Amino acid sequence: MKTTFISSQAVSNAMRYQVLNMQQELAKAQTEVTTGKLADPGVTLGSRTGQAVSLSRDVDRLNGLVDSNNLISTRLTATQDALGQINDLTQTFLSALTADKGSGVASTVTQTAAQTALSSVTSILNTSVNGEYLFAGINTDVQPINDSGATGSAANQALNDAFQTRFGFPPSDPAAANISASDMGDFIDQLVSDQTTDPAWSSNWSNATDQPITSRISLNETAETSVSANSIGTKKFMIAAAMVSNFMQGNLNEGARDALIDKASDLITDSLTDSASQQAQLGLTENKVSSATDRIKSQVDLFQRNLNDLEGVDPYEASTKITSLLGQIETSYALTARIQQLSLVNYLK
Amino acid sequence: MSLTTALNIAQSALFNTTRQTTVVSQNISNSGNPDYARRSATIVSTAPGATVVNIQRTTDDVLFRSNMKALSSYEGQNTLLNGMQNLGLAVNGVDNADSAASALGDFQQALNLYSATPSNTSLGENTVESARQLVRNLNDGTNAIQSFRTDMDNQISQAVADLNNLLNSFDQANRTIVAGNQTGADVSDAEDQRDGLLKQISQYVSISAIKRDNGDMMLVTSDGATLYETVPRTVTFDPVAGYDATTTGNAIKVDGVPLSAGTGGNTSASGRLAAMVQLRDSTATTMQSQLDEIARGLINAFAETDPSDPTATAGKTPGLFTWDGAPAMPTDGTLDPGLAGRIKINPAMDSTVGGNASVLRDGGGGGAGYVANPDGNASFSDLLIRYSQNLDKPIAFDPAAGAGSNASVMTYSTNAISSFEAARKDASDAADNKNALMTRTQQALSNSTGVNIDEEMSMMLDLEHSYQASARMISTVDNMLSALMNAIH
Repeated sequence: MKTTFISSQAVSNAMRYQVLNMQQELAKAQTEVTTGKLADPGVTLGSRTGQAVSLSRDVDRLNGLVDSNNLISTRLTATQDALGQINDLTQTFLSALTADKGSGVASTVTQTAAQTALSSVTSILNTSVNGEYLFAGINTDVQPINDSGATGSAANQALNDAFQTRFGFPPSDPAAANISASDMGDFIDQLVSDQTTDPAWSSNWSNATDQPITSRISLNETAETSVSANSIGTKKFMIAAAMVSNFMQGNLNEGARDALIDKASDLITDSLTDSASQQAQLGLTENKVSSATDRIKSQVDLFQRNLNDLEGVDPYEASTKITSLLGQIETSYALTARIQQLSLVNYLK
Repeated sequence: MSLTTALNIAQSALFNTTRQTTVVSQNISNSGNPDYARRSATIVSTAPGATVVNIQRTTDDVLFRSNMKALSSYEGQNTLLNGMQNLGLAVNGVDNADSAASALGDFQQALNLYSATPSNTSLGENTVESARQLVRNLNDGTNAIQSFRTDMDNQISQAVADLNNLLNSFDQANRTIVAGNQTGADVSDAEDQRDGLLKQISQYVSISAIKRDNGDMMLVTSDGATLYETVPRTVTFDPVAGYDATTTGNAIKVDGVPLSAGTGGNTSASGRLAAMVQLRDSTATTMQSQLDEIARGLINAFAETDPSDPTATAGKTPGLFTWDGAPAMPTDGTLDPGLAGRIKINPAMDSTVGGNASVLRDGGGGGAGYVANPDGNASFSDLLIRYSQNLDKPIAFDPAAGAGSNASVMTYSTNAISSFEAARKDASDAADNKNALMTRTQQALSNSTGVNIDEEMSMMLDLEHSYQASARMISTVDNMLSALMNAIH
């Protein structure tokens, strides 16, 4: 009587199933060796698949932020540079004014200095980078500062009209010699407070918005990444330079002229202080952006490593797996061939 | 005792040997037939000297039952796994590369780039194009899911027809066996056939077979519905012509009792039918619900609000992403079936239909009252930044969709992938296990009832010897008789 029994079919099927399984494994291992990633991450990771998708998405997103932060840094550097130049021009103009006071130089010299300073600063304020005007606030597709030196400019017109209204004659009129120092002082104070506030400022001088550009510099941090030409420092400089350029016509008496120069000097000193604090502010933002970029970069590295841990395969392990699978499959082929030969039929003659 | 008796015994031995040889050759010829159970010819002595060959069919009811059960669960699991594989590929693409989560990532990246340089109109166009891609992804996903459901419905209908045919064949085999047993005929072939049919039927639905008098069999599904009792019961199913997200499919009824669908990734479904119903009614609809919720989250994240009070919930209206219910918003926290198929890009921002991408930057897609940047300042980034932050802000999702209840749209979209892939992993692992069990039980069954050619061959040698011996016997008796005859001469 037999104790154990095996059917011929079971013998041949057992080998077939094994070979099938190994071939499936082989196909998977081959994909893993060539791609360096799991053959089917979904089935291997299960509920962690979402994490892998989210990580690779975040890596892309953070790299995007690094790119946009680079753009922002370019803008900030250009702004910082422009502010430095404006500072230099303002200093030069201030020394021209100081030199003028009580020295008896021809008023045209100071007037020319004012015009030069005005047009240079205007052109710097109208700098554009990547098609965006640096100092335009968020209205970056329009030149922020109107050229007040141009004939018929609204700013010039407004200054001259104010002079005419106050004194009853234009600045070039010989009667200007009768203007007293205190009248001149009063007039300038009034003029400055009128012209540096809206609506006069935005209709005569500037197209910029007060609101600077807001940018997202990290996943949950935003920063103001531009400087508007509507800052009080710019306003004071513009009005001071324009006043000197318009009113310093040679007819003014000594007192009124000194009053004009004093007022202008005060305004420009204020403007320098303001500009310095603006530069400091900008420096802080630059710092913030670059440290955000550094943080993001280290985050990207970390995410990339996590992603590798999740989805990556050890190529060495995968290739040794292939080698051993190939060996096993060959053995089973050899075995199958031997087993097929192993039949009683062959021995029955 | 006489020589004649010896001759008779030898003759009957020859006769028995030929019958046994017939059985051996039948066994050998069926050695490749998985439904064939080995016959054994045993010799039974009836009267002194007389022997009869009795043919028995080897059976092992316990192994057969466990094989049937394993077959059912493997078929159910395998159907589910294949279905999920197809569904996942159709909706999420290879390695989830075409999933809503990936498209959402691309879109958010485009949006971030645009918000960094809002004055750049081509970046705006690029953002809207990404949004279009995302919407197309959701729309196509919905179509793929619903056509998958329609397809599944057809397959169920086909499978039910097959099952009814199998039951009719089973009826014939069963009748033959009962009739044969009543008349004492050999019913082994009919039993082979019936066992084969049982294996086929259990691939469709899990059954338990109850044996009764005269080899009659009664089939009951695991739900308790009668599938066969003296006559086959009908399995009915009404297919639905086309599916959309609100369509509910019909149940399969066995003898009027609805067949319960499988649940879970390591499915409780035994047999193909339950798994197909599970795919159609649970797996596919869950995926649809999650897409619908992602669509709702998008509409919500890009909703335009009254510029004077951005936090107000009243007066919100769909912005970049809109739907057929605009200007109203979809109800918060509530699943709207099929929304992913109806979400679209606001025409006011879509340059292909005369819109302008800068409306996305300035607001006003919902009407003039929603413009947040009335002066059209080129570098206005507040709205864009807010939208991008909204994508990361948690909102309430309908827990019925099965991917969490409070998450940001971004997280929700990856949760959806996780929940699907977790089920697929379960299904894949379970399929491996159930396949191993099925293979093992099949092997065990084959070992216990199958044919071993070597054994049959050695048996044949025995038979050959006994034939030779009996023949020699006859010739010897013949010689003896001739010698006797010659002596008489």
